[in-house]
Amino acid sequence: MKFYLSMIVCVFVLCAQGLAYGQETSFTVGPQDESVSQQIVSSAKATPDLTSEDQSKTASNNPTDELSEDYHEDEILEEYAAKIKEEKVEIADPLEPLNRVFHEFNDKLYFWALKPVAQGYKAVVPEPARVSVKNFFSNLAFPARFLSCLLQADFSGAATEAGRFTINTLWGIGGLMDPSSGKELNLQKQDTDLGQTLGVWGVGQGFYIVWPVFGPYSFRDTVILAGDYFIYPVSYINPWYASWGVRAYEEVNATSLRIGDYEALKDAAIDPYVAFRDAYAQYRFKKIKARKTKLTLSAPAAQQGKPADAELLNKEN
Amino acid sequence: MKKQLTGLIIIWALLIFSLPAFAGVALDTAQKSVNGVLDVLRDPKLKPASATELKKEKLRVIYKNMFDEVEFSKRTLTRNWNTFSPAQRTEFVTLFEQILENSYADKILSYTNEKVEFYKENKLSDTQVEVQSKIITSSKEIPIFYRMILKDGKWKVYDVVIENVSLVQNYRTQFNDILAKDKPEKLLETLRKKLNKK
Repeated sequence: MKFYLSMIVCVFVLCAQGLAYGQETSFTVGPQDESVSQQIVSSAKATPDLTSEDQSKTASNNPTDELSEDYHEDEILEEYAAKIKEEKVEIADPLEPLNRVFHEFNDKLYFWALKPVAQGYKAVVPEPARVSVKNFFSNLAFPARFLSCLLQADFSGAATEAGRFTINTLWGIGGLMDPSSGKELNLQKQDTDLGQTLGVWGVGQGFYIVWPVFGPYSFRDTVILAGDYFIYPVSYINPWYASWGVRAYEEVNATSLRIGDYEALKDAAIDPYVAFRDAYAQYRFKKIKARKTKLTLSAPAAQQGKPADAELLNKEN
Repeated sequence: MKKQLTGLIIIWALLIFSLPAFAGVALDTAQKSVNGVLDVLRDPKLKPASATELKKEKLRVIYKNMFDEVEFSKRTLTRNWNTFSPAQRTEFVTLFEQILENSYADKILSYTNEKVEFYKENKLSDTQVEVQSKIITSSKEIPIFYRMILKDGKWKVYDVVIENVSLVQNYRTQFNDILAKDKPEKLLETLRKKLNKK
Protein backbone atom coordinates (compact mmCIF):
# COMPACT_ATOMS: atom_id res chain seq x y z
CA MET A 1 0.00 0.00 0.00
CA LYS A 2 2.74 2.39 0.97
CA PHE A 3 4.53 1.42 -2.18
CA TYR A 4 1.59 2.41 -4.34
CA LEU A 5 1.29 5.63 -2.45
CA SER A 6 4.89 6.42 -3.16
CA MET A 7 4.38 5.61 -6.82
CA ILE A 8 1.55 8.12 -6.96
CA VAL A 9 3.81 10.69 -5.36
CA CYS A 10 6.46 9.87 -7.93
CA VAL A 11 4.09 10.30 -10.85
CA PHE A 12 3.05 13.62 -9.46
CA VAL A 13 6.62 14.73 -9.01
CA LEU A 14 7.52 13.55 -12.49
CA CYS A 15 4.67 15.53 -13.95
CA ALA A 16 5.86 18.59 -12.14
CA GLN A 17 9.34 17.89 -13.39
CA GLY A 18 8.20 17.56 -16.98
CA LEU A 19 6.60 20.92 -16.61
CA ALA A 20 9.68 22.42 -15.07
CA TYR A 21 11.62 21.24 -18.10
CA GLY A 22 9.48 23.42 -20.23
CA GLN A 23 6.39 21.65 -21.42
CA GLU A 24 3.57 24.08 -21.85
CA THR A 25 0.62 23.16 -19.72
CA SER A 26 -2.24 25.06 -18.30
CA PHE A 27 -0.69 24.60 -14.90
CA THR A 28 0.15 28.06 -13.70
CA VAL A 29 2.48 29.10 -10.95
CA GLY A 30 1.66 32.37 -9.37
CA PRO A 31 -1.04 34.40 -7.79
CA GLN A 32 -4.05 32.69 -9.30
CA ASP A 33 -7.06 31.45 -7.45
CA GLU A 34 -6.99 27.98 -8.88
CA SER A 35 -7.86 25.45 -6.26
CA VAL A 36 -5.42 22.72 -5.40
CA SER A 37 -7.61 20.02 -6.89
CA GLN A 38 -7.70 21.85 -10.18
CA GLN A 39 -3.94 22.04 -10.20
CA ILE A 40 -3.61 18.33 -9.70
CA VAL A 41 -6.04 17.60 -12.48
CA SER A 42 -4.25 19.84 -14.90
CA SER A 43 -0.82 18.56 -13.96
CA ALA A 44 -2.02 15.00 -14.33
CA LYS A 45 -2.77 15.87 -17.93
CA ALA A 46 0.88 16.71 -18.39
CA THR A 47 2.01 13.10 -18.63
CA PRO A 48 4.93 12.45 -20.97
CA ASP A 49 2.72 10.95 -23.68
CA LEU A 50 0.99 14.26 -24.18
CA THR A 51 0.52 14.74 -27.89
CA SER A 52 1.94 17.77 -29.59
CA GLU A 53 -1.54 18.80 -30.60
CA ASP A 54 -2.59 18.98 -26.99
CA GLN A 55 0.50 20.92 -26.18
CA SER A 56 -0.15 23.59 -28.75
CA LYS A 57 -3.72 23.81 -27.55
CA THR A 58 -2.73 24.46 -23.97
CA ALA A 59 0.05 26.78 -25.10
CA SER A 60 -2.36 28.91 -27.06
CA ASN A 61 -4.65 29.10 -24.07
CA ASN A 62 -1.93 30.52 -21.93
CA PRO A 63 -1.55 34.06 -23.29
CA THR A 64 -5.26 34.75 -22.95
CA ASP A 65 -5.03 34.00 -19.25
CA GLU A 66 -2.15 36.37 -18.99
CA LEU A 67 -3.87 39.03 -21.01
CA SER A 68 -6.71 39.18 -18.57
CA GLU A 69 -4.34 39.55 -15.67
CA ASP A 70 -3.60 43.04 -14.44
CA TYR A 71 -0.16 44.52 -14.27
CA HIS A 72 1.52 44.12 -10.91
CA GLU A 73 4.72 45.67 -9.73
CA ASP A 74 7.47 43.13 -9.18
CA GLU A 75 7.42 41.76 -5.71
CA ILE A 76 10.94 42.44 -4.65
CA LEU A 77 12.63 40.35 -2.03
CA GLU A 78 14.85 42.25 0.32
CA GLU A 79 18.06 40.55 -0.76
CA TYR A 80 17.60 41.34 -4.44
CA ALA A 81 16.15 44.79 -4.00
CA ALA A 82 19.28 46.66 -5.03
CA LYS A 83 19.78 44.59 -8.15
CA ILE A 84 16.31 44.39 -9.55
CA LYS A 85 15.16 47.89 -8.83
CA GLU A 86 15.00 49.52 -12.20
CA GLU A 87 16.32 52.95 -11.54
CA LYS A 88 14.12 55.72 -12.69
CA VAL A 89 16.45 57.06 -15.33
CA GLU A 90 14.89 60.21 -16.60
CA ILE A 91 16.23 63.47 -17.84
CA ALA A 92 14.52 66.83 -17.57
CA ASP A 93 13.66 68.35 -20.91
CA PRO A 94 12.56 71.98 -20.53
CA LEU A 95 13.84 72.83 -24.01
CA GLU A 96 11.77 70.13 -25.71
CA PRO A 97 10.28 72.27 -28.53
CA LEU A 98 13.71 73.61 -29.49
CA ASN A 99 15.33 70.20 -29.05
CA ARG A 100 12.79 68.62 -31.35
CA VAL A 101 13.73 71.13 -34.05
CA PHE A 102 17.41 70.31 -33.70
CA HIS A 103 16.63 66.61 -33.58
CA GLU A 104 14.86 66.96 -36.93
CA PHE A 105 17.79 68.96 -38.26
CA ASN A 106 20.33 66.32 -37.23
CA ASP A 107 18.13 63.61 -38.66
CA LYS A 108 18.08 65.35 -42.04
CA LEU A 109 21.81 65.99 -41.80
CA TYR A 110 22.33 62.26 -41.33
CA PHE A 111 20.09 61.09 -44.15
CA TRP A 112 20.95 63.80 -46.66
CA ALA A 113 24.66 64.31 -46.07
CA LEU A 114 26.46 62.00 -43.66
CA LYS A 115 24.91 58.70 -44.72
CA PRO A 116 25.33 59.05 -48.48
CA VAL A 117 28.95 60.13 -48.05
CA ALA A 118 29.66 57.31 -45.60
CA GLN A 119 28.03 54.81 -47.95
CA GLY A 120 30.20 55.94 -50.85
CA TYR A 121 33.28 55.79 -48.65
CA LYS A 122 32.29 52.33 -47.41
CA ALA A 123 31.98 51.08 -50.99
CA VAL A 124 35.53 52.17 -51.77
CA VAL A 125 37.47 51.47 -48.59
CA PRO A 126 37.56 47.90 -47.23
CA GLU A 127 36.46 47.32 -43.64
CA PRO A 128 39.87 46.48 -42.08
CA ALA A 129 41.21 49.82 -43.33
CA ARG A 130 38.26 51.64 -41.83
CA VAL A 131 38.75 49.86 -38.52
CA SER A 132 42.39 50.97 -38.58
CA VAL A 133 41.36 54.56 -39.18
CA LYS A 134 38.99 54.29 -36.24
CA ASN A 135 41.81 52.93 -34.08
CA PHE A 136 44.05 55.78 -35.18
CA PHE A 137 41.61 58.46 -34.08
CA SER A 138 40.81 56.59 -30.91
CA ASN A 139 44.53 56.54 -30.10
CA LEU A 140 44.74 60.27 -30.75
CA ALA A 141 41.92 60.89 -28.31
CA PHE A 142 44.05 59.42 -25.54
CA PRO A 143 44.60 62.69 -23.62
CA ALA A 144 40.92 63.06 -22.70
CA ARG A 145 40.70 59.50 -21.36
CA PHE A 146 44.02 59.80 -19.52
CA LEU A 147 43.02 63.08 -17.91
CA SER A 148 39.59 61.71 -16.95
CA CYS A 149 41.17 58.72 -15.24
CA LEU A 150 43.53 61.00 -13.31
CA LEU A 151 40.69 63.31 -12.29
CA GLN A 152 38.75 60.32 -11.00
CA ALA A 153 41.84 59.19 -9.05
CA ASP A 154 41.75 56.00 -11.11
CA PHE A 155 45.52 55.61 -11.32
CA SER A 156 45.50 52.08 -12.67
CA GLY A 157 43.20 53.27 -15.44
CA ALA A 158 45.51 56.18 -16.20
CA ALA A 159 48.51 53.82 -16.29
CA THR A 160 46.62 51.49 -18.63
CA GLU A 161 45.83 54.38 -20.93
CA ALA A 162 49.45 55.63 -20.92
CA GLY A 163 50.67 52.10 -21.64
CA ARG A 164 48.17 51.67 -24.45
CA PHE A 165 49.15 54.97 -26.02
CA THR A 166 52.87 54.12 -25.97
CA ILE A 167 52.45 50.59 -27.26
CA ASN A 168 49.87 51.38 -29.91
CA THR A 169 51.79 54.38 -31.17
CA LEU A 170 55.13 52.52 -31.39
CA TRP A 171 54.13 48.97 -32.25
CA GLY A 172 50.70 49.69 -33.64
CA ILE A 173 52.09 51.88 -36.46
CA GLY A 174 51.06 55.22 -35.04
CA GLY A 175 47.84 53.85 -33.58
CA LEU A 176 46.47 52.16 -36.69
CA MET A 177 46.56 48.83 -34.91
CA ASP A 178 45.51 48.04 -31.38
CA PRO A 179 47.99 45.43 -30.13
CA SER A 180 47.46 46.43 -26.47
CA SER A 181 43.95 45.04 -26.25
CA GLY A 182 45.12 41.64 -27.50
CA LYS A 183 45.13 38.63 -25.21
CA GLU A 184 48.84 38.89 -24.28
CA LEU A 185 48.85 42.47 -23.03
CA ASN A 186 45.17 42.84 -22.22
CA LEU A 187 45.24 46.60 -21.76
CA GLN A 188 41.65 47.58 -22.51
CA LYS A 189 40.59 51.05 -23.52
CA GLN A 190 39.24 52.95 -20.53
CA ASP A 191 35.68 53.81 -21.29
CA THR A 192 35.62 57.28 -19.79
CA ASP A 193 35.30 60.94 -20.60
CA LEU A 194 35.10 64.30 -18.88
CA GLY A 195 31.32 64.32 -18.56
CA GLN A 196 31.52 60.99 -16.81
CA THR A 197 34.18 62.41 -14.50
CA LEU A 198 31.81 65.13 -13.39
CA GLY A 199 29.15 62.46 -12.95
CA VAL A 200 31.45 60.40 -10.76
CA TRP A 201 32.14 63.51 -8.72
CA GLY A 202 28.42 63.77 -8.09
CA VAL A 203 27.43 66.50 -10.54
CA GLY A 204 23.87 65.94 -11.74
CA GLN A 205 23.18 65.55 -15.43
CA GLY A 206 21.10 68.71 -15.75
CA PHE A 207 18.66 68.92 -18.62
CA TYR A 208 18.69 67.47 -22.10
CA ILE A 209 20.12 69.42 -25.02
CA VAL A 210 20.24 68.40 -28.65
CA TRP A 211 23.04 70.35 -30.25
CA PRO A 212 22.81 70.94 -33.96
CA VAL A 213 25.44 68.75 -35.70
CA PHE A 214 26.83 67.33 -32.44
CA GLY A 215 23.69 65.59 -31.28
CA PRO A 216 22.23 64.72 -27.88
CA TYR A 217 23.96 65.76 -24.67
CA SER A 218 22.99 66.51 -21.14
CA PHE A 219 23.91 69.94 -19.86
CA ARG A 220 26.70 68.36 -17.82
CA ASP A 221 28.04 66.21 -20.63
CA THR A 222 28.35 69.25 -22.87
CA VAL A 223 31.71 69.59 -21.11
CA ILE A 224 32.81 66.74 -23.40
CA LEU A 225 32.42 69.06 -26.37
CA ALA A 226 34.56 71.73 -24.75
CA GLY A 227 37.09 69.21 -23.47
CA ASP A 228 37.28 67.58 -26.86
CA TYR A 229 37.99 70.92 -28.35
CA PHE A 230 40.85 71.79 -26.04
CA ILE A 231 42.62 68.50 -25.49
CA TYR A 232 41.98 66.68 -28.73
CA PRO A 233 45.15 67.09 -30.84
CA VAL A 234 43.16 67.35 -34.07
CA SER A 235 41.83 70.73 -32.89
CA TYR A 236 45.34 72.17 -33.14
CA ILE A 237 45.75 71.45 -36.83
CA ASN A 238 46.29 74.61 -38.84
CA PRO A 239 44.45 76.10 -40.64
CA TRP A 240 41.12 75.72 -38.87
CA TYR A 241 39.27 74.33 -41.86
CA ALA A 242 41.82 71.52 -42.18
CA SER A 243 41.11 70.67 -38.55
CA TRP A 244 37.35 70.55 -39.18
CA GLY A 245 37.97 68.58 -42.35
CA VAL A 246 39.81 65.92 -40.39
CA ARG A 247 37.00 65.89 -37.84
CA ALA A 248 34.44 65.44 -40.58
CA TYR A 249 36.48 62.60 -42.08
CA GLU A 250 36.67 60.93 -38.68
CA GLU A 251 32.89 61.13 -38.40
CA VAL A 252 32.34 59.73 -41.89
CA ASN A 253 34.68 56.85 -41.11
CA ALA A 254 32.96 56.09 -37.81
CA THR A 255 29.54 56.29 -39.45
CA SER A 256 30.59 53.89 -42.20
CA LEU A 257 31.13 51.25 -39.51
CA ARG A 258 27.66 51.61 -38.03
CA ILE A 259 25.32 52.35 -40.93
CA GLY A 260 21.96 50.89 -40.10
CA ASP A 261 22.11 51.29 -36.33
CA TYR A 262 20.49 54.70 -36.30
CA GLU A 263 17.90 53.61 -38.85
CA ALA A 264 16.95 50.52 -36.84
CA LEU A 265 16.54 52.50 -33.64
CA LYS A 266 14.55 55.21 -35.35
CA ASP A 267 12.41 52.70 -37.19
CA ALA A 268 11.53 50.79 -34.06
CA ALA A 269 10.57 53.91 -32.13
CA ILE A 270 7.03 55.15 -31.76
CA ASP A 271 8.28 58.65 -31.02
CA PRO A 272 11.95 58.73 -32.15
CA TYR A 273 12.72 61.94 -30.29
CA VAL A 274 11.62 60.48 -26.95
CA ALA A 275 13.27 57.15 -27.78
CA PHE A 276 16.65 58.76 -28.36
CA ARG A 277 16.33 60.95 -25.30
CA ASP A 278 15.60 57.94 -23.12
CA ALA A 279 18.36 55.87 -24.73
CA TYR A 280 20.83 58.67 -24.08
CA ALA A 281 19.79 59.01 -20.44
CA GLN A 282 19.98 55.24 -19.82
CA TYR A 283 23.29 54.89 -21.61
CA ARG A 284 25.02 57.68 -19.70
CA PHE A 285 23.50 56.68 -16.38
CA LYS A 286 24.72 53.12 -16.59
CA LYS A 287 28.16 54.12 -17.80
CA ILE A 288 28.66 56.37 -14.81
CA LYS A 289 27.32 53.70 -12.51
CA ALA A 290 29.73 51.14 -13.96
CA ARG A 291 32.55 53.60 -13.52
CA LYS A 292 31.63 54.25 -9.90
CA THR A 293 31.50 50.50 -9.23
CA LYS A 294 34.95 50.12 -10.73
CA LEU A 295 36.32 52.92 -8.58
CA THR A 296 34.87 51.50 -5.36
CA LEU A 297 36.38 48.15 -6.24
CA SER A 298 39.87 49.46 -6.90
CA ALA A 299 39.72 51.71 -3.83
CA PRO A 300 42.48 50.96 -1.30
CA ALA A 301 42.33 48.28 1.35
CA ALA A 302 40.22 50.39 3.72
CA GLN A 303 37.03 48.67 2.61
CA GLN A 304 38.40 45.23 2.08
CA GLY A 305 36.93 42.29 3.88
CA LYS A 306 33.46 43.71 4.00
CA PRO A 307 30.87 41.31 2.67
CA ALA A 308 29.33 44.03 0.53
CA ASP A 309 32.63 44.35 -1.27
CA ALA A 310 32.81 40.67 -1.96
CA GLU A 311 29.35 40.77 -3.43
CA LEU A 312 30.29 43.65 -5.70
CA LEU A 313 33.34 41.74 -6.83
CA ASN A 314 31.22 38.76 -7.65
CA LYS A 315 28.90 40.94 -9.59
CA GLU A 316 31.68 42.35 -11.65
CA ASN A 317 33.47 39.17 -12.47
CA MET B 1 12.66 -3.62 2.08
CA LYS B 2 9.63 -1.90 0.68
CA LYS B 3 10.19 0.99 3.01
CA GLN B 4 13.73 1.42 1.77
CA LEU B 5 12.59 1.24 -1.82
CA THR B 6 9.97 3.87 -1.16
CA GLY B 7 12.53 6.13 0.42
CA LEU B 8 14.92 5.65 -2.46
CA ILE B 9 12.28 6.40 -5.05
CA ILE B 10 11.23 9.54 -3.26
CA ILE B 11 14.80 10.75 -2.92
CA TRP B 12 15.48 9.93 -6.57
CA ALA B 13 12.35 11.75 -7.68
CA LEU B 14 13.17 14.76 -5.56
CA LEU B 15 16.67 14.89 -6.99
CA ILE B 16 15.40 14.95 -10.53
CA PHE B 17 12.76 17.47 -9.61
CA SER B 18 15.31 19.83 -8.16
CA LEU B 19 17.55 19.78 -11.24
CA PRO B 20 15.90 22.60 -13.18
CA ALA B 21 16.42 24.90 -10.22
CA PHE B 22 20.15 24.94 -10.86
CA ALA B 23 21.59 28.21 -12.08
CA GLY B 24 22.40 28.28 -15.75
CA VAL B 25 19.14 26.92 -17.08
CA ALA B 26 18.07 30.37 -18.25
CA LEU B 27 21.45 30.98 -19.84
CA ASP B 28 21.22 27.65 -21.66
CA THR B 29 17.70 28.43 -22.84
CA ALA B 30 18.72 31.82 -24.22
CA GLN B 31 21.86 30.41 -25.79
CA LYS B 32 19.94 27.61 -27.47
CA SER B 33 17.48 30.06 -28.99
CA VAL B 34 20.20 32.42 -30.20
CA ASN B 35 22.18 29.54 -31.67
CA GLY B 36 19.00 28.48 -33.44
CA VAL B 37 18.77 31.96 -34.94
CA LEU B 38 22.41 31.82 -36.04
CA ASP B 39 21.86 28.41 -37.64
CA VAL B 40 19.01 29.80 -39.70
CA LEU B 41 21.07 32.85 -40.70
CA ARG B 42 24.05 30.74 -41.75
CA ASP B 43 22.11 27.99 -43.47
CA PRO B 44 23.53 27.91 -47.03
CA LYS B 45 20.22 26.56 -48.33
CA LEU B 46 18.50 29.74 -47.16
CA LYS B 47 21.13 32.06 -48.66
CA PRO B 48 19.29 33.21 -51.81
CA ALA B 49 17.22 36.36 -51.51
CA SER B 50 14.10 34.39 -52.44
CA ALA B 51 14.35 32.52 -49.14
CA THR B 52 14.00 35.65 -47.01
CA GLU B 53 10.37 34.95 -46.18
CA LEU B 54 11.18 31.36 -45.24
CA LYS B 55 13.99 32.60 -43.02
CA LYS B 56 11.66 35.07 -41.33
CA GLU B 57 9.14 32.30 -40.81
CA LYS B 58 11.75 30.12 -39.12
CA LEU B 59 12.98 33.00 -36.98
CA ARG B 60 9.42 33.77 -35.91
CA VAL B 61 9.08 30.27 -34.46
CA ILE B 62 12.25 30.72 -32.42
CA TYR B 63 11.17 34.18 -31.32
CA LYS B 64 7.77 32.95 -30.14
CA ASN B 65 9.46 30.32 -28.07
CA MET B 66 12.05 32.68 -26.64
CA PHE B 67 10.04 35.79 -25.77
CA ASP B 68 7.08 36.39 -23.53
CA GLU B 69 5.43 39.15 -25.51
CA VAL B 70 2.57 39.65 -23.06
CA GLU B 71 4.99 40.17 -20.20
CA PHE B 72 7.00 42.49 -22.43
CA SER B 73 3.92 44.53 -23.31
CA LYS B 74 2.77 44.70 -19.70
CA ARG B 75 6.09 45.99 -18.55
CA THR B 76 6.21 48.72 -21.16
CA LEU B 77 2.73 49.93 -20.25
CA THR B 78 3.07 49.37 -16.48
CA ARG B 79 -0.03 50.72 -14.73
CA ASN B 80 -1.51 51.91 -17.97
CA TRP B 81 -2.01 48.23 -18.84
CA ASN B 82 -4.83 48.09 -16.32
CA THR B 83 -6.75 50.81 -18.13
CA PHE B 84 -6.70 48.84 -21.38
CA SER B 85 -9.76 46.70 -22.10
CA PRO B 86 -9.14 43.00 -22.90
CA ALA B 87 -9.67 43.65 -26.61
CA GLN B 88 -7.30 46.60 -26.51
CA ARG B 89 -4.71 44.51 -24.72
CA THR B 90 -4.84 41.79 -27.35
CA GLU B 91 -4.54 44.31 -30.14
CA PHE B 92 -1.72 46.12 -28.43
CA VAL B 93 0.34 42.96 -28.00
CA THR B 94 -0.13 41.98 -31.65
CA LEU B 95 0.61 45.45 -33.03
CA PHE B 96 3.65 45.92 -30.83
CA GLU B 97 5.05 42.56 -31.84
CA GLN B 98 4.62 43.31 -35.51
CA ILE B 99 6.28 46.69 -35.20
CA LEU B 100 9.26 45.14 -33.46
CA GLU B 101 9.49 42.44 -36.11
CA ASN B 102 9.33 44.94 -38.96
CA SER B 103 12.05 47.13 -37.55
CA TYR B 104 14.48 44.50 -36.33
CA ALA B 105 14.06 41.69 -38.88
CA ASP B 106 16.29 43.33 -41.49
CA LYS B 107 18.92 44.16 -38.92
CA ILE B 108 19.00 40.56 -37.69
CA LEU B 109 18.98 39.14 -41.21
CA SER B 110 22.08 41.22 -42.01
CA TYR B 111 24.12 39.34 -39.41
CA THR B 112 26.23 36.51 -40.77
CA ASN B 113 29.78 36.30 -39.52
CA GLU B 114 29.27 37.65 -36.04
CA LYS B 115 30.13 35.56 -33.04
CA VAL B 116 27.84 35.44 -30.04
CA GLU B 117 29.21 34.69 -26.62
CA PHE B 118 27.13 33.97 -23.53
CA TYR B 119 29.16 34.48 -20.42
CA LYS B 120 27.13 35.19 -17.32
CA GLU B 121 23.85 34.81 -15.51
CA ASN B 122 22.85 37.28 -12.81
CA LYS B 123 20.06 36.36 -10.46
CA LEU B 124 17.56 39.19 -10.07
CA SER B 125 14.99 37.39 -7.97
CA ASP B 126 13.74 33.86 -7.45
CA THR B 127 12.05 33.86 -10.83
CA GLN B 128 14.05 36.47 -12.70
CA VAL B 129 17.57 36.46 -14.10
CA GLU B 130 19.69 38.55 -16.40
CA VAL B 131 21.66 36.55 -18.95
CA GLN B 132 24.63 38.44 -20.33
CA SER B 133 25.95 37.96 -23.83
CA LYS B 134 27.87 39.89 -26.42
CA ILE B 135 27.94 40.01 -30.17
CA ILE B 136 31.47 40.23 -31.51
CA THR B 137 31.69 41.85 -34.93
CA SER B 138 34.81 42.65 -36.88
CA SER B 139 34.85 46.23 -35.64
CA LYS B 140 33.24 46.12 -32.20
CA GLU B 141 31.60 44.23 -29.38
CA ILE B 142 27.95 44.83 -28.53
CA PRO B 143 26.79 43.74 -25.07
CA ILE B 144 23.29 42.27 -25.12
CA PHE B 145 21.60 41.23 -21.90
CA TYR B 146 18.41 39.19 -21.78
CA ARG B 147 16.18 39.60 -18.74
CA MET B 148 14.25 36.39 -18.30
CA ILE B 149 11.37 35.27 -16.15
CA LEU B 150 10.41 31.77 -15.05
CA LYS B 151 6.81 30.97 -15.89
CA ASP B 152 5.27 27.53 -15.96
CA GLY B 153 8.75 26.06 -15.67
CA LYS B 154 9.95 27.88 -18.73
CA TRP B 155 12.44 30.73 -18.94
CA LYS B 156 11.22 33.44 -21.25
CA VAL B 157 12.73 36.76 -22.21
CA TYR B 158 10.81 39.84 -21.09
CA ASP B 159 13.40 42.55 -21.72
CA VAL B 160 16.47 43.00 -23.87
CA VAL B 161 19.20 45.39 -22.80
CA ILE B 162 21.38 46.46 -25.71
CA GLU B 163 24.48 48.50 -24.89
CA ASN B 164 23.04 49.39 -21.50
CA VAL B 165 19.72 50.53 -22.95
CA SER B 166 16.71 48.55 -21.79
CA LEU B 167 14.13 48.17 -24.54
CA VAL B 168 11.28 47.89 -22.06
CA GLN B 169 12.28 51.11 -20.37
CA ASN B 170 12.79 52.87 -23.67
CA TYR B 171 9.27 52.01 -24.82
CA ARG B 172 7.86 52.72 -21.39
CA THR B 173 9.11 56.30 -21.63
CA GLN B 174 7.59 56.69 -25.08
CA PHE B 175 4.22 55.16 -24.13
CA ASN B 176 4.05 57.12 -20.91
CA ASP B 177 4.62 60.28 -22.90
CA ILE B 178 1.63 59.48 -25.11
CA LEU B 179 -0.67 58.04 -22.44
CA ALA B 180 -0.09 60.98 -20.12
CA LYS B 181 -2.00 63.09 -22.62
CA ASP B 182 -4.20 60.65 -24.50
CA LYS B 183 -6.45 57.61 -24.13
CA PRO B 184 -5.31 54.04 -24.91
CA GLU B 185 -7.26 54.17 -28.17
CA LYS B 186 -5.03 57.00 -29.35
CA LEU B 187 -1.87 54.94 -28.70
CA LEU B 188 -3.34 52.00 -30.61
CA GLU B 189 -4.17 54.37 -33.45
CA THR B 190 -0.56 55.57 -33.54
CA LEU B 191 0.70 51.99 -33.62
CA ARG B 192 -1.73 51.04 -36.40
CA LYS B 193 -0.60 54.01 -38.47
CA LYS B 194 3.03 53.13 -37.95
CA LEU B 195 2.42 49.58 -39.08
CA ASN B 196 0.51 50.62 -42.18
CA LYS B 197 3.22 52.98 -43.29
CA LYS B 198 5.46 50.00 -43.97
